[in-house]
Amino acid sequence: METAMRLTDVRKRYGGVAALDGVDLEIRPGETVAVLGPNGAGKTTLLSVALGLVDPDAGTASLLGGSPAATVGTGRVGALLQDGGLIDDVRVDELVTAVAGMYPAPVPVHEVLTAAGLTEFATRRVHGLSGGQRQRVRFGLALAGDPRLLVLDEPTVGLDVESRRALWRRVRERAALGHTVIFSTHYLAEAADNAHRIVLLARGKVIADGDVARITSMVGDGEVRFRLDGADRQALNRLPGVHAVQVDGTAVTLTTGDPDATLRALFAAYDGVRGVRTAGADLETAFVRLTGGEL
Amino acid sequence: MGSLLRLEIARTFRNPVSMVFLIGFPLALYLLWTKVLPVSAGTGITDFAAYSMVSMATYGSLGGALFIGGAIALERTGGWLRQLAVTPLPGHGYVVAKLVAGMLGVLPSIVAVLAAGAALGGVRLAGTTWVVLVPLIWLGVLPFAALGVALGYSLAGQSANMAMIVVYFGLSVLGGLWVPVEALPDGLRAVAEYSPAYQAGSLGWRALDGLAPTGTAVAVLAGWTLLFCALAVWRYRRAL
Repeated sequence: METAMRLTDVRKRYGGVAALDGVDLEIRPGETVAVLGPNGAGKTTLLSVALGLVDPDAGTASLLGGSPAATVGTGRVGALLQDGGLIDDVRVDELVTAVAGMYPAPVPVHEVLTAAGLTEFATRRVHGLSGGQRQRVRFGLALAGDPRLLVLDEPTVGLDVESRRALWRRVRERAALGHTVIFSTHYLAEAADNAHRIVLLARGKVIADGDVARITSMVGDGEVRFRLDGADRQALNRLPGVHAVQVDGTAVTLTTGDPDATLRALFAAYDGVRGVRTAGADLETAFVRLTGGEL
Repeated sequence: MGSLLRLEIARTFRNPVSMVFLIGFPLALYLLWTKVLPVSAGTGITDFAAYSMVSMATYGSLGGALFIGGAIALERTGGWLRQLAVTPLPGHGYVVAKLVAGMLGVLPSIVAVLAAGAALGGVRLAGTTWVVLVPLIWLGVLPFAALGVALGYSLAGQSANMAMIVVYFGLSVLGGLWVPVEALPDGLRAVAEYSPAYQAGSLGWRALDGLAPTGTAVAVLAGWTLLFCALAVWRYRRAL
């Protein structure tokens, strides 16, 4: 069976900086994959190479079994680009109509407008739209051709909470139909909630690639902070899920891959625990740890 | 590509700025030259109202053709071409739609100036001459569409527009569209003969006297068109 997207040892430098440093990636049809990484990790370059917008210095890219440019030309791909521009002096529905008309089997325009949440400002000119509204228009243009493969580069940038939810609902709908969706984000929660598979990218390299449960356990550390008199580092380190312990007087911080289990065991073992707070470790911190502080 | 072409044509005909710039400005100059300023004195041109009408129709449509590239520069800089690059639109689809819509947008400025010549300038010509003038002027400005595309793919945003204004005014003056070349110094006049704007104008000027385009005019215009097309194709390929 052909792959939806395949990158083989792709390298791309901009000036002295390696945006992509030997990326291998294979995505099967029907997968929903999040490319997760901090800013500057190479997410946009990766998607640009895959779409044929940027030629790699070395390595090869293919989409749906063909060259990226040729496959895009067949109308089986829809994409939302971070730096995709819109023309300002046309109405939203005119723009959607024009782009839908480029595809062999487009979605009816009114359905695109509904799906991307554009109905309320469909007859307005693009130049009067807010950043979030423009982003919804870009999403609409990506959906207009009813593509088998949807590529979204940080699709929720500039969107309010309600629009984000609506967008992910559409993405999951398409995934449920068996379409392939590949999106980039720097939010772990977005990746975990909407993808089946997460590809972790840092400094132009894939540093981890796997199903959501595996990657969230690697990245999604929580911190448990509390106060405890006479805390014993060794003993605390043996609590389930814990892989780091910091003790500063009576203040203790546990880094854990499974905060629920850690807390249950903590309360069972220690009566003197007080002032418990938990927090998710942020993605930047997790990446620093995973890449050995080389960010 | 049909859907993009439809959109581009709609944009062309409702853009108030270009309609004012490409119709209003040549019309105003036409009335200024023929009604207010004694520009005709010393040029030896007998029917200056008709001559100037052709000059201004050529001038307006030349601008329309050239500024196709201004829009290309702005849209290229704004990322619209990147957006189009992820649609099935073929690579040349955008520039073809721009050229076709832009060249259609040139027609109103030709018709408007000719209408002003008849209605306000007192120009009286044979019916066939009126009919022939429109396509002659329209064809004459084709090299400028190619030049505009070349500039549009070479320069970013506003600097492309600045360059085009310089080229627009420079070539129009050199080509005798503002003031007849007979009023230019001898040295410049010799150069003007080989400039695209002069030869574009010559198609219409000769038609006023019932004369066909000269071989020189056809050769000069074809030469510039080929040169600008080659430049446009080269810049277009580089910009992709």
